[in-house]
Amino acid sequence: MTRNADTTTTRELAQSLLAYEADEAGAAMPNEPAVCRVCDKLRRPLTTLAGAAGFRSLLARALTLAQRESPALRAWEVKADGSVEVPNGEAVPSGAVLIAHLIGLMITFIGEALTLRLLHDVWINLPDAKVMFERNEQK
Amino acid sequence: MNEQNRVKINQLLTGVPGLDEILGGGLPEFSFNIIAGAPGCGKTTLAHQFIFANATVDRPALYFTVLGEPALKMLRYQQQFSFFDAAKLNNAVRFVNLSQDLVERGLEGVLDEISKQVEAANPSIVVVDSFRTVLRSEMHEGKNMAVQTFVQQLALLLTSWEATTFLIGEYSESELRDNPVFTVADGLFWLFQQVDRNSVVRKMQIMKLRGQASVPGLHTFRITEAGLQAFSRTLGLVGERKTYSTVKRLSMGIPALDEMMGGGVPEGDSLLIAGSSGTGKSLIATQFLAAGIRAGEPGIAAVFEERPNEYTARASEFGLDLQTPLAEGRLEVIYLRPLDLSVDEMMQEILDAVKRTGAKRLVIDSLAGFEMALAPSFRTDFRESLYRMIFALTAIGITILSTLEMPETFTELSFSSYSISFLTDDMNFARS
Repeated sequence: MTRNADTTTTRELAQSLLAYEADEAGAAMPNEPAVCRVCDKLRRPLTTLAGAAGFRSLLARALTLAQRESPALRAWEVKADGSVEVPNGEAVPSGAVLIAHLIGLMITFIGEALTLRLLHDVWINLPDAKVMFERNEQK
Repeated sequence: MNEQNRVKINQLLTGVPGLDEILGGGLPEFSFNIIAGAPGCGKTTLAHQFIFANATVDRPALYFTVLGEPALKMLRYQQQFSFFDAAKLNNAVRFVNLSQDLVERGLEGVLDEISKQVEAANPSIVVVDSFRTVLRSEMHEGKNMAVQTFVQQLALLLTSWEATTFLIGEYSESELRDNPVFTVADGLFWLFQQVDRNSVVRKMQIMKLRGQASVPGLHTFRITEAGLQAFSRTLGLVGERKTYSTVKRLSMGIPALDEMMGGGVPEGDSLLIAGSSGTGKSLIATQFLAAGIRAGEPGIAAVFEERPNEYTARASEFGLDLQTPLAEGRLEVIYLRPLDLSVDEMMQEILDAVKRTGAKRLVIDSLAGFEMALAPSFRTDFRESLYRMIFALTAIGITILSTLEMPETFTELSFSSYSISFLTDDMNFARS
């Protein structure tokens, strides 16, 4: 089965989110990995839609899928509070796999249009998210 | 109090076709309402239809979910309906999950969070889905007062903040008595799914609606890809029967028959053509329609035993051109063979066709076919439903010709096995 996380678009979007967080927001919190900040920003809209336990379940599922694809993620963990524990020194590529799967799950459940809308609401200044959102709106 | 001194209650359009009419014009603004019913009967869809029809960015809708279907899945399914507008999500329509507040802090936590959200968002509409789960967690010995206080405070809060509210719950009818929620509610919408043999029929009842007169009784509704569509028992046609200063007679399209009938069928009458198979009932009905078309009177044929193209092809075999008026919109052939049809749906179809064509003549061919298309539970009410339908349609000036197949007997002269003579003003009996 081709999952939504496998699409180039989803992977590119995940990389954009991570790059944005690393560049723009990273200066304020240099010790926090970008992947954690992306997950944390997605926590609010997803908790609204699925509850705190639901958000944790989605993230855990995304991590399981990502771990199958990227063995480097095997040491990563979703904690009881829904945050991601990332071993020191993990780089963006592994994080992108996780984020891509999380976005993929969102697309599976609520469709591409609503997923892009939610991402656009969170990263309103991110050019890639805006372009994709507007492209989708024009369909 | 005279009319000038009374407070004017604005009515909000529900976005559900047919429901505003049942409610008496729309839903009273700032009312505190319950949507109750068994699982799967359309409660959540009804609420969504309402919020997407009414919520705006300035006055959004807050949709609280509690320990029931999470919003994530709700969005997955609700976006399949055509009324769902993704552009409204997160601005005009906002979801808030209260599960954690309920689990951690009980009713007080739920009330606090709702208060906080309402004060921040200034919503015009608030939905709590499922409200039943909120109360169930606290509904046990010694907690009744706490529940009653919670419901009352919630109603007070939401009314004070000028929000129109829906509480959604899976209630059974046996819970109607002594339930504080129902006492406080201004409106109580009950949705049913009735199973009769292999058919399922959806019905709704407005059990209570403060401030305005709703149409009493059970109303059929369907759920399609457009959402709910309700069919009022009266379809708004409850006015006085149209009266004519002079009786105009409409030609049957058969000169000798017109002569026998004193010039034709009186306008606004219901005429029954009864007879055994092969006596020409359908042909008489077709000629009646064709005569109307020739006289500039658009018509509608509701057929149940043949398809529209077969119907017009058969007419052309007798030299009657129905294809042209059909193409020009002066004639509509309604062919309904869905499972579990209701008379109210049929009547809605006819009324819509009347609006489109300006029809003066209606043919129902045949009553037996009509009855067969109905869900079993509607067949038991067929006579009563047919009475409502024919009364309502003739009241707006439609002249109706219905056909009815009768067994041929030579020992008695019976006009109808249905005992439906009360439905007709005139009868023709055809024998071969």
